[in-house]
Amino acid sequence: MSDAIKTQGMWYRAGPDFELHDVSMSVPTGSVYGFLGPNGAGKTTTIRLLLGLHRADRGDISLLERDVPKDMPDILQRTAYVPETPHLYPSLTVAEAVRYHGAFYKAWDESWTDELFDRFSLPPNQRISKLSKGESGKLLMLLALAQRPELLVLDEPTEGLDPIVRRDILGTLLDYVSEQGATVLISSHLVHELERICDWVGLMDQGRLISEMPMQQFKNGIKRLRIIDPPGTYDNTPFEVLAREPVNGGVPGEMILVQGWSADMAGYFSGVGASLREVVDLDLEDGFVEMLRAYRAG
Amino acid sequence: MFQVILSTQWKWARLPLLLATITAFTVPILSVQGAGGSQIQGAMAFSVLATMENWAVWYPLLAAAIGLLLAVTAWGPDHRQGHTYALSLPLPRWQYAMLRLGAGFVLLAAPAIGIALGSVLASATATVPLGLTAYPAALAIRFTLAAVLAFTIFFAIAGGSTRTAGYVLATMAALLIGHRLLGVVAIDIDVIGPILERLYDFRGPLGIFGGRWMLIDV
Repeated sequence: MSDAIKTQGMWYRAGPDFELHDVSMSVPTGSVYGFLGPNGAGKTTTIRLLLGLHRADRGDISLLERDVPKDMPDILQRTAYVPETPHLYPSLTVAEAVRYHGAFYKAWDESWTDELFDRFSLPPNQRISKLSKGESGKLLMLLALAQRPELLVLDEPTEGLDPIVRRDILGTLLDYVSEQGATVLISSHLVHELERICDWVGLMDQGRLISEMPMQQFKNGIKRLRIIDPPGTYDNTPFEVLAREPVNGGVPGEMILVQGWSADMAGYFSGVGASLREVVDLDLEDGFVEMLRAYRAG
Repeated sequence: MFQVILSTQWKWARLPLLLATITAFTVPILSVQGAGGSQIQGAMAFSVLATMENWAVWYPLLAAAIGLLLAVTAWGPDHRQGHTYALSLPLPRWQYAMLRLGAGFVLLAAPAIGIALGSVLASATATVPLGLTAYPAALAIRFTLAAVLAFTIFFAIAGGSTRTAGYVLATMAALLIGHRLLGVVAIDIDVIGPILERLYDFRGPLGIFGGRWMLIDV
Protein backbone atom coordinates (compact mmCIF):
# COMPACT_ATOMS: atom_id res chain seq x y z
CA MET A 1 0.00 0.00 0.00
CA SER A 2 1.36 3.45 -0.86
CA ASP A 3 1.63 6.25 1.65
CA ALA A 4 -0.38 9.43 1.29
CA ILE A 5 2.10 11.16 3.60
CA LYS A 6 5.72 10.17 3.99
CA THR A 7 8.54 11.96 5.74
CA GLN A 8 12.11 10.74 6.02
CA GLY A 9 14.54 12.19 8.55
CA MET A 10 12.69 15.50 8.84
CA TRP A 11 14.42 18.09 11.04
CA TYR A 12 13.26 21.57 11.81
CA ARG A 13 14.44 24.09 14.36
CA ALA A 14 11.45 26.20 15.35
CA GLY A 15 13.34 28.38 17.82
CA PRO A 16 16.01 28.24 20.50
CA ASP A 17 13.93 25.88 22.66
CA PHE A 18 12.24 23.58 20.22
CA GLU A 19 13.28 21.30 17.43
CA LEU A 20 11.74 18.45 15.47
CA HIS A 21 14.18 15.55 15.50
CA ASP A 22 14.44 13.12 12.65
CA VAL A 23 10.70 12.66 12.15
CA SER A 24 9.97 9.76 9.80
CA MET A 25 6.27 9.13 9.50
CA SER A 26 4.14 7.19 7.05
CA VAL A 27 0.42 7.69 6.68
CA PRO A 28 -1.01 4.88 4.52
CA THR A 29 -3.33 5.88 1.71
CA GLY A 30 -6.95 5.50 2.75
CA SER A 31 -6.23 5.46 6.47
CA VAL A 32 -7.54 7.71 9.20
CA TYR A 33 -4.34 8.51 11.09
CA GLY A 34 -4.65 9.90 14.59
CA PHE A 35 -1.76 12.17 15.49
CA LEU A 36 -1.43 12.22 19.26
CA GLY A 37 0.82 14.12 21.59
CA PRO A 38 0.77 16.51 24.51
CA ASN A 39 0.76 20.28 24.07
CA GLY A 40 4.02 21.48 22.56
CA ALA A 41 4.94 18.03 21.27
CA GLY A 42 5.39 19.36 17.74
CA LYS A 43 2.19 18.17 16.07
CA THR A 44 1.20 21.53 14.62
CA THR A 45 4.76 22.24 13.51
CA THR A 46 4.87 18.87 11.77
CA ILE A 47 1.58 19.59 10.03
CA ARG A 48 2.77 23.00 8.90
CA LEU A 49 5.92 21.39 7.50
CA LEU A 50 3.84 18.83 5.64
CA LEU A 51 1.82 21.59 4.02
CA GLY A 52 4.82 23.69 3.05
CA LEU A 53 3.96 26.45 5.52
CA HIS A 54 7.42 25.97 7.03
CA ARG A 55 10.51 24.68 5.27
CA ALA A 56 12.27 21.69 6.84
CA ASP A 57 15.96 22.16 7.62
CA ARG A 58 16.65 18.60 6.54
CA GLY A 59 14.82 15.53 5.32
CA ASP A 60 12.35 14.55 2.62
CA ILE A 61 8.61 15.08 2.66
CA SER A 62 6.11 13.77 0.17
CA LEU A 63 2.34 14.08 0.06
CA LEU A 64 0.23 12.15 -2.42
CA GLU A 65 3.50 10.95 -3.97
CA ARG A 66 4.58 14.51 -4.81
CA ASP A 67 7.50 16.39 -3.29
CA VAL A 68 7.09 19.09 -0.66
CA PRO A 69 7.69 21.98 -1.22
CA LYS A 70 8.42 21.63 -4.96
CA ASP A 71 4.96 20.43 -5.97
CA MET A 72 2.93 22.40 -3.42
CA PRO A 73 0.28 23.88 -5.75
CA ASP A 74 -0.60 20.43 -7.08
CA ILE A 75 -0.53 18.90 -3.59
CA LEU A 76 -2.71 21.65 -2.14
CA GLN A 77 -5.18 21.26 -5.01
CA ARG A 78 -5.81 17.71 -3.73
CA THR A 79 -5.41 18.38 0.00
CA ALA A 80 -7.72 20.05 2.48
CA TYR A 81 -6.34 21.73 5.56
CA VAL A 82 -8.18 22.66 8.72
CA PRO A 83 -5.82 24.60 10.98
CA GLU A 84 -5.81 24.74 14.75
CA THR A 85 -7.02 28.35 14.76
CA PRO A 86 -9.39 29.55 12.04
CA HIS A 87 -7.40 31.25 9.30
CA LEU A 88 -10.19 32.73 7.18
CA TYR A 89 -10.62 36.46 6.62
CA PRO A 90 -12.81 37.64 9.51
CA SER A 91 -14.42 40.50 7.59
CA LEU A 92 -15.98 38.19 4.99
CA THR A 93 -19.41 36.69 5.43
CA VAL A 94 -19.82 32.93 5.41
CA ALA A 95 -21.18 32.97 1.84
CA GLU A 96 -18.34 35.21 0.68
CA ALA A 97 -15.75 32.96 2.31
CA VAL A 98 -17.24 29.90 0.62
CA ARG A 99 -17.29 31.65 -2.77
CA TYR A 100 -13.71 32.84 -2.27
CA HIS A 101 -12.38 29.45 -1.23
CA GLY A 102 -14.23 27.54 -3.94
CA ALA A 103 -12.72 29.67 -6.70
CA PHE A 104 -9.30 28.12 -6.11
CA TYR A 105 -10.23 24.43 -6.36
CA LYS A 106 -10.81 22.52 -9.59
CA ALA A 107 -12.86 19.78 -7.92
CA TRP A 108 -15.03 22.18 -5.91
CA ASP A 109 -18.50 20.69 -5.56
CA GLU A 110 -21.23 23.35 -5.57
CA SER A 111 -24.16 21.02 -4.98
CA TRP A 112 -22.42 19.37 -2.06
CA THR A 113 -21.54 22.78 -0.69
CA ASP A 114 -25.26 23.60 -0.64
CA GLU A 115 -26.01 20.30 1.03
CA LEU A 116 -23.35 20.86 3.69
CA PHE A 117 -24.66 24.39 4.25
CA ASP A 118 -28.03 22.90 5.13
CA ARG A 119 -26.59 20.05 7.15
CA PHE A 120 -24.46 22.38 9.26
CA SER A 121 -27.14 25.12 9.44
CA LEU A 122 -24.60 27.84 8.72
CA PRO A 123 -25.83 31.46 8.49
CA PRO A 124 -24.67 32.62 5.02
CA ASN A 125 -24.79 36.34 5.77
CA GLN A 126 -23.02 36.21 9.11
CA ARG A 127 -19.53 37.68 9.27
CA ILE A 128 -16.84 35.14 10.11
CA SER A 129 -15.69 37.28 13.02
CA LYS A 130 -19.18 36.89 14.54
CA LEU A 131 -19.41 33.12 14.21
CA SER A 132 -19.46 30.94 17.28
CA LYS A 133 -16.67 28.42 17.76
CA GLY A 134 -18.95 25.62 16.64
CA GLU A 135 -20.03 27.49 13.51
CA SER A 136 -16.39 28.27 12.69
CA GLY A 137 -15.50 24.62 13.04
CA LYS A 138 -18.37 23.61 10.77
CA LEU A 139 -17.44 26.22 8.17
CA LEU A 140 -13.83 25.03 8.08
CA MET A 141 -15.00 21.45 7.66
CA LEU A 142 -17.42 22.50 4.91
CA LEU A 143 -14.62 24.25 3.03
CA ALA A 144 -12.35 21.24 3.47
CA LEU A 145 -14.89 18.68 2.28
CA ALA A 146 -16.36 20.67 -0.61
CA GLN A 147 -12.89 20.65 -2.20
CA ARG A 148 -13.37 16.88 -2.67
CA PRO A 149 -9.83 16.28 -1.39
CA GLU A 150 -7.86 13.05 -1.55
CA LEU A 151 -6.13 13.98 1.70
CA LEU A 152 -7.43 15.89 4.71
CA VAL A 153 -5.02 17.35 7.23
CA LEU A 154 -6.94 18.37 10.32
CA ASP A 155 -5.19 20.08 13.21
CA GLU A 156 -7.36 19.85 16.32
CA PRO A 157 -10.55 20.31 14.27
CA THR A 158 -12.88 19.69 17.18
CA GLU A 159 -10.95 21.51 19.90
CA GLY A 160 -13.30 23.46 22.14
CA LEU A 161 -16.46 22.29 20.38
CA ASP A 162 -19.48 20.89 22.17
CA PRO A 163 -20.23 17.17 21.74
CA ILE A 164 -23.12 17.72 19.33
CA VAL A 165 -21.07 19.84 16.94
CA ARG A 166 -18.18 17.40 17.30
CA ARG A 167 -20.43 14.55 16.34
CA ASP A 168 -21.83 16.49 13.35
CA ILE A 169 -18.37 17.31 12.07
CA LEU A 170 -16.80 13.91 12.60
CA GLY A 171 -19.88 12.11 11.26
CA THR A 172 -19.75 14.12 8.04
CA LEU A 173 -16.01 13.55 7.80
CA LEU A 174 -16.36 9.80 8.20
CA ASP A 175 -19.16 9.66 5.62
CA TYR A 176 -16.89 11.39 3.15
CA VAL A 177 -13.92 9.18 3.93
CA SER A 178 -15.93 5.99 3.54
CA GLU A 179 -17.45 7.18 0.25
CA GLN A 180 -14.30 8.58 -1.31
CA GLY A 181 -11.56 6.49 0.29
CA ALA A 182 -9.74 9.67 1.25
CA THR A 183 -6.83 9.74 3.69
CA VAL A 184 -7.10 11.72 6.91
CA LEU A 185 -4.38 12.95 9.25
CA ILE A 186 -6.08 14.27 12.35
CA SER A 187 -4.40 15.64 15.44
CA SER A 188 -6.37 15.93 18.62
CA HIS A 189 -6.10 15.93 22.38
CA LEU A 190 -9.37 14.06 22.58
CA VAL A 191 -7.92 10.59 22.69
CA HIS A 192 -11.25 8.80 23.02
CA GLU A 193 -12.49 10.56 19.91
CA LEU A 194 -9.49 9.36 17.92
CA GLU A 195 -9.90 5.86 19.29
CA ARG A 196 -13.37 5.79 17.76
CA ILE A 197 -12.47 6.99 14.28
CA CYS A 198 -8.82 6.20 13.57
CA ASP A 199 -7.27 3.07 12.16
CA TRP A 200 -3.67 4.27 12.54
CA VAL A 201 -2.05 6.18 15.33
CA GLY A 202 1.18 8.14 15.67
CA LEU A 203 2.52 9.42 18.99
CA MET A 204 4.67 12.48 19.22
CA ASP A 205 6.51 13.96 22.18
CA GLN A 206 9.24 16.56 22.56
CA GLY A 207 9.68 16.93 18.83
CA ARG A 208 10.09 13.22 18.17
CA LEU A 209 7.74 10.66 16.67
CA ILE A 210 7.83 8.00 19.38
CA SER A 211 5.76 5.39 17.67
CA GLU A 212 3.27 4.78 14.87
CA MET A 213 1.25 1.66 14.23
CA PRO A 214 -2.22 0.43 13.29
CA MET A 215 -4.74 1.33 15.98
CA GLN A 216 -5.70 -2.31 16.50
CA GLN A 217 -2.07 -3.26 17.07
CA PHE A 218 -1.69 -0.38 19.49
CA LYS A 219 -4.77 -1.32 21.46
CA ASN A 220 -4.06 -5.04 21.42
CA GLY A 221 -0.32 -4.85 21.72
CA ILE A 222 0.08 -2.53 24.68
CA LYS A 223 -0.65 -4.31 27.93
CA ARG A 224 0.20 -4.08 31.56
CA LEU A 225 1.35 -7.49 32.86
CA ARG A 226 1.60 -8.59 36.48
CA ILE A 227 4.62 -10.84 36.90
CA ILE A 228 5.46 -12.95 39.93
CA ASP A 229 9.14 -13.66 40.62
CA PRO A 230 10.30 -11.27 37.92
CA PRO A 231 13.81 -11.67 36.51
CA GLY A 232 16.47 -9.00 37.11
CA THR A 233 16.41 -8.06 33.44
CA TYR A 234 14.13 -9.01 30.61
CA ASP A 235 16.42 -10.26 27.87
CA ASN A 236 15.55 -11.51 24.40
CA THR A 237 11.86 -10.79 24.88
CA PRO A 238 9.50 -11.31 21.92
CA PHE A 239 7.81 -8.06 23.05
CA GLU A 240 9.20 -4.66 24.05
CA VAL A 241 9.28 -3.75 27.74
CA LEU A 242 8.40 -0.08 28.07
CA ALA A 243 8.36 0.27 31.86
CA ARG A 244 8.65 -1.69 35.11
CA GLU A 245 6.99 -0.71 38.34
CA PRO A 246 6.14 -2.35 41.68
CA VAL A 247 2.59 -3.45 42.32
CA ASN A 248 0.77 -1.27 44.84
CA GLY A 249 -0.79 -2.52 48.09
CA GLY A 250 1.75 -5.16 49.08
CA VAL A 251 0.74 -7.45 46.22
CA PRO A 252 3.71 -9.60 45.19
CA GLY A 253 5.51 -9.22 41.89
CA GLU A 254 5.78 -6.27 39.58
CA MET A 255 3.85 -4.68 36.77
CA ILE A 256 5.50 -4.30 33.39
CA LEU A 257 4.23 -2.28 30.50
CA VAL A 258 4.84 -4.04 27.20
CA GLN A 259 4.36 -3.25 23.55
CA GLY A 260 3.87 -5.81 20.79
CA TRP A 261 2.21 -8.29 23.10
CA SER A 262 0.20 -11.31 21.99
CA ALA A 263 -1.20 -14.18 24.09
CA ASP A 264 1.17 -16.79 22.65
CA MET A 265 4.11 -14.96 24.23
CA ALA A 266 3.08 -15.98 27.76
CA GLY A 267 5.50 -18.95 27.64
CA TYR A 268 8.43 -16.54 27.72
CA PHE A 269 7.97 -15.97 31.46
CA SER A 270 8.20 -19.62 32.49
CA GLY A 271 11.44 -19.75 30.49
CA VAL A 272 12.99 -17.09 32.74
CA GLY A 273 11.64 -18.51 36.02
CA ALA A 274 8.79 -16.04 36.35
CA SER A 275 5.05 -16.42 36.04
CA LEU A 276 2.46 -14.26 34.37
CA ARG A 277 -0.49 -13.60 36.69
CA GLU A 278 -2.55 -10.97 34.99
CA VAL A 279 -2.86 -9.19 31.63
CA VAL A 280 -4.46 -5.76 31.90
CA ASP A 281 -5.95 -4.21 28.74
CA LEU A 282 -5.32 -0.53 28.22
CA ASP A 283 -7.51 1.81 26.24
CA LEU A 284 -5.88 4.29 23.89
CA GLU A 285 -5.66 7.02 26.50
CA ASP A 286 -4.01 4.75 29.08
CA GLY A 287 -1.70 3.35 26.44
CA PHE A 288 -0.85 6.85 25.26
CA VAL A 289 -0.07 8.06 28.78
CA GLU A 290 1.97 4.97 29.63
CA MET A 291 3.96 5.16 26.44
CA LEU A 292 4.74 8.80 27.07
CA ARG A 293 5.77 8.04 30.62
CA ALA A 294 8.00 5.20 29.52
CA TYR A 295 9.51 7.31 26.76
CA ARG A 296 10.25 10.20 29.10
CA ALA A 297 11.78 7.85 31.66
CA GLY A 298 14.17 6.80 28.89
CA MET B 1 -9.91 33.45 -9.13
CA PHE B 2 -9.10 37.05 -10.00
CA GLN B 3 -12.71 38.02 -9.47
CA VAL B 4 -12.80 36.76 -5.87
CA ILE B 5 -9.42 38.33 -5.09
CA LEU B 6 -10.72 41.62 -6.50
CA SER B 7 -13.94 41.37 -4.53
CA THR B 8 -12.08 40.84 -1.23
CA GLN B 9 -9.77 43.76 -1.89
CA TRP B 10 -12.72 45.93 -2.83
CA LYS B 11 -14.44 44.95 0.41
CA TRP B 12 -11.39 45.81 2.51
CA ALA B 13 -10.58 49.09 0.73
CA ARG B 14 -13.93 50.42 -0.41
CA LEU B 15 -14.60 53.06 2.27
CA PRO B 16 -11.20 54.76 2.23
CA LEU B 17 -11.09 54.29 -1.54
CA LEU B 18 -14.43 56.07 -1.89
CA LEU B 19 -13.10 58.91 0.24
CA ALA B 20 -9.92 59.07 -1.86
CA THR B 21 -11.98 59.12 -5.07
CA ILE B 22 -14.12 61.98 -3.80
CA THR B 23 -10.97 63.84 -2.76
CA ALA B 24 -9.38 63.23 -6.15
CA PHE B 25 -12.53 64.57 -7.81
CA THR B 26 -12.68 67.59 -5.52
CA VAL B 27 -9.08 68.84 -5.49
CA PRO B 28 -8.99 70.14 -9.11
CA ILE B 29 -12.38 71.78 -8.65
CA LEU B 30 -11.28 73.43 -5.43
CA SER B 31 -8.05 74.60 -7.05
CA VAL B 32 -9.99 76.35 -9.81
CA GLN B 33 -12.49 77.75 -7.32
CA GLY B 34 -9.57 79.08 -5.28
CA ALA B 35 -8.27 80.85 -8.36
CA GLY B 36 -11.60 82.54 -8.96
CA GLY B 37 -13.55 79.91 -10.88
CA SER B 38 -15.51 81.25 -13.82
CA GLN B 39 -14.57 84.79 -12.77
CA ILE B 40 -10.93 84.32 -13.74
CA GLN B 41 -9.79 87.28 -15.80
CA GLY B 42 -6.86 87.57 -18.16
CA ALA B 43 -5.00 89.94 -15.86
CA MET B 44 -5.09 87.38 -13.12
CA ALA B 45 -2.74 84.91 -14.83
CA PHE B 46 0.01 85.21 -12.22
CA SER B 47 -2.43 84.89 -9.40
CA VAL B 48 -3.97 81.80 -11.07
CA LEU B 49 -0.56 80.18 -11.45
CA ALA B 50 0.25 80.92 -7.79
CA THR B 51 -3.02 79.32 -6.65
CA MET B 52 -2.46 76.30 -8.89
CA GLU B 53 1.01 75.93 -7.47
CA ASN B 54 -0.37 75.96 -3.95
CA TRP B 55 -2.72 73.13 -4.82
CA ALA B 56 -0.09 71.22 -6.81
CA VAL B 57 1.39 69.62 -3.71
CA TRP B 58 -1.84 67.75 -2.98
CA TYR B 59 -1.84 65.67 -6.17
CA PRO B 60 1.37 63.66 -5.59
CA LEU B 61 0.57 63.40 -1.90
CA LEU B 62 -2.88 62.03 -2.68
CA ALA B 63 -1.46 59.62 -5.27
CA ALA B 64 1.08 58.33 -2.75
CA ALA B 65 -1.56 58.04 -0.01
CA ILE B 66 -3.88 56.06 -2.30
CA GLY B 67 -1.01 53.75 -3.26
CA LEU B 68 -0.17 53.20 0.39
CA LEU B 69 -3.81 52.63 1.34
CA LEU B 70 -4.39 50.03 -1.37
CA ALA B 71 -1.13 48.24 -0.59
CA VAL B 72 -1.86 48.05 3.12
CA THR B 73 -5.41 46.83 2.58
CA ALA B 74 -4.23 44.29 -0.01
CA TRP B 75 -1.87 42.57 2.43
CA GLY B 76 -3.29 43.53 5.84
CA PRO B 77 -5.72 40.63 6.33
CA ASP B 78 -3.09 38.11 5.22
CA HIS B 79 -0.53 39.62 7.60
CA ARG B 80 -2.98 39.42 10.48
CA GLN B 81 -3.54 35.69 9.82
CA GLY B 82 0.19 35.02 9.48
CA HIS B 83 -0.37 34.32 5.75
CA THR B 84 -1.53 30.81 6.67
CA TYR B 85 -4.64 30.96 4.51
CA ALA B 86 -2.91 32.46 1.49
CA LEU B 87 -0.08 29.92 1.69
CA SER B 88 -2.46 26.99 1.98
CA LEU B 89 -4.25 27.90 -1.26
CA PRO B 90 -3.31 25.80 -4.30
CA LEU B 91 -1.42 28.33 -6.36
CA PRO B 92 2.19 29.46 -6.48
CA ARG B 93 3.00 32.35 -4.19
CA TRP B 94 4.11 34.61 -7.04
CA GLN B 95 0.78 34.06 -8.76
CA TYR B 96 -1.13 34.96 -5.61
CA ALA B 97 0.93 38.15 -5.26
CA MET B 98 0.31 39.02 -8.92
CA LEU B 99 -3.44 38.54 -8.49
CA ARG B 100 -3.46 40.88 -5.48
CA LEU B 101 -1.30 43.39 -7.39
CA GLY B 102 -3.61 43.22 -10.40
CA ALA B 103 -6.68 43.71 -8.22
CA GLY B 104 -5.04 46.80 -6.74
CA PHE B 105 -4.45 48.21 -10.24
CA VAL B 106 -8.11 47.70 -11.07
CA LEU B 107 -9.19 49.50 -7.89
CA LEU B 108 -6.91 52.42 -8.77
CA ALA B 109 -9.31 53.11 -11.62
CA ALA B 110 -11.76 54.69 -9.17
CA PRO B 111 -9.55 57.63 -8.04
CA ALA B 112 -8.18 57.89 -11.58
CA ILE B 113 -11.69 58.39 -12.92
CA GLY B 114 -12.40 60.72 -10.01
CA ILE B 115 -9.51 63.03 -10.83
CA ALA B 116 -10.20 62.85 -14.57
CA LEU B 117 -13.83 63.91 -14.08
CA GLY B 118 -12.89 66.56 -11.53
CA SER B 119 -10.21 68.00 -13.82
CA VAL B 120 -12.45 68.06 -16.89
CA LEU B 121 -15.28 69.64 -14.93
CA ALA B 122 -12.99 72.22 -13.33
CA SER B 123 -11.42 73.12 -16.68
CA ALA B 124 -14.80 73.38 -18.34
CA THR B 125 -16.16 75.76 -15.75
CA ALA B 126 -13.10 78.04 -15.65
CA THR B 127 -12.32 80.88 -18.01
CA VAL B 128 -8.63 80.26 -18.55
CA PRO B 129 -6.65 83.51 -18.93
CA LEU B 130 -4.90 84.18 -22.20
CA GLY B 131 -1.49 82.55 -22.30
CA LEU B 132 -2.46 79.79 -19.90
CA THR B 133 -3.82 76.34 -20.77
CA ALA B 134 -5.79 73.73 -18.82
CA TYR B 135 -4.31 70.24 -18.84
CA PRO B 136 -7.00 67.95 -17.42
CA ALA B 137 -5.98 64.84 -19.33
CA ALA B 138 -2.28 65.25 -18.59
CA LEU B 139 -2.97 65.83 -14.91
CA ALA B 140 -5.25 62.77 -14.70
CA ILE B 141 -2.78 60.52 -16.52
CA ARG B 142 0.11 61.75 -14.42
CA PHE B 143 -1.88 61.25 -11.23
CA THR B 144 -2.84 57.72 -12.28
CA LEU B 145 0.74 56.77 -13.14
CA ALA B 146 1.98 58.21 -9.84
CA ALA B 147 -0.67 56.25 -7.92
CA VAL B 148 0.25 53.06 -9.82
CA LEU B 149 3.93 53.61 -9.00
CA ALA B 150 3.24 54.36 -5.35
CA PHE B 151 0.98 51.32 -5.05
CA THR B 152 3.58 49.06 -6.66
CA ILE B 153 6.34 50.26 -4.32
CA PHE B 154 4.24 50.05 -1.17
CA PHE B 155 2.79 46.70 -2.30
CA ALA B 156 6.29 45.26 -2.61
CA ILE B 157 7.29 46.57 0.81
CA ALA B 158 4.03 45.55 2.51
CA GLY B 159 4.12 42.10 0.89
CA GLY B 160 7.44 41.32 2.48
CA SER B 161 7.95 40.23 6.02
CA THR B 162 8.01 42.64 8.94
CA ARG B 163 11.78 42.19 8.84
CA THR B 164 11.94 43.40 5.23
CA ALA B 165 9.84 46.44 6.06
CA GLY B 166 12.17 46.98 9.05
CA TYR B 167 15.24 46.91 6.79
CA VAL B 168 13.69 49.51 4.48
CA LEU B 169 12.79 51.79 7.37
CA ALA B 170 16.16 51.22 9.07
CA THR B 171 17.99 52.18 5.87
CA MET B 172 15.97 55.39 5.61
CA ALA B 173 16.53 56.16 9.30
CA ALA B 174 20.27 55.48 8.96
CA LEU B 175 20.47 57.92 6.07
CA LEU B 176 18.66 60.61 8.02
CA ILE B 177 20.74 60.07 11.17
CA GLY B 178 23.95 59.98 9.12
CA HIS B 179 22.97 63.23 7.47
CA ARG B 180 22.32 64.83 10.87
CA LEU B 181 25.56 63.58 12.40
CA LEU B 182 27.60 64.93 9.54
CA GLY B 183 25.91 68.28 10.07
CA VAL B 184 26.72 68.22 13.80
CA VAL B 185 30.42 67.57 13.23
CA ALA B 186 30.42 70.30 10.58
CA ILE B 187 31.36 68.02 7.74
CA ASP B 188 29.87 69.53 4.67
CA ILE B 189 28.74 66.40 2.87
CA ASP B 190 25.13 66.24 1.76
CA VAL B 191 24.11 62.57 1.98
CA ILE B 192 20.41 62.85 1.33
CA GLY B 193 20.35 65.61 -1.23
CA PRO B 194 21.99 63.66 -4.07
CA ILE B 195 19.88 60.59 -3.31
CA LEU B 196 16.67 62.58 -3.41
CA GLU B 197 17.89 64.32 -6.52
CA ARG B 198 18.49 60.99 -8.21
CA LEU B 199 15.15 59.66 -7.10
CA TYR B 200 13.07 62.70 -7.98
CA ASP B 201 15.00 63.80 -11.05
CA PHE B 202 12.72 63.61 -14.07
CA ARG B 203 14.68 60.55 -15.21
CA GLY B 204 14.67 59.03 -11.71
CA PRO B 205 12.30 56.28 -10.56
CA LEU B 206 10.21 58.73 -8.52
CA GLY B 207 10.48 61.52 -11.05
CA ILE B 208 6.77 61.48 -11.67
CA PHE B 209 6.19 62.84 -8.16
CA GLY B 210 8.38 65.88 -8.80
CA GLY B 211 7.89 68.79 -11.22
CA ARG B 212 4.77 70.85 -11.83
CA TRP B 213 1.39 69.34 -10.98
CA MET B 214 -0.86 72.09 -12.25
CA LEU B 215 -4.25 71.85 -13.84
CA ILE B 216 -3.81 75.29 -15.41
CA ASP B 217 -0.31 76.17 -16.50
CA VAL B 218 1.52 78.15 -19.12
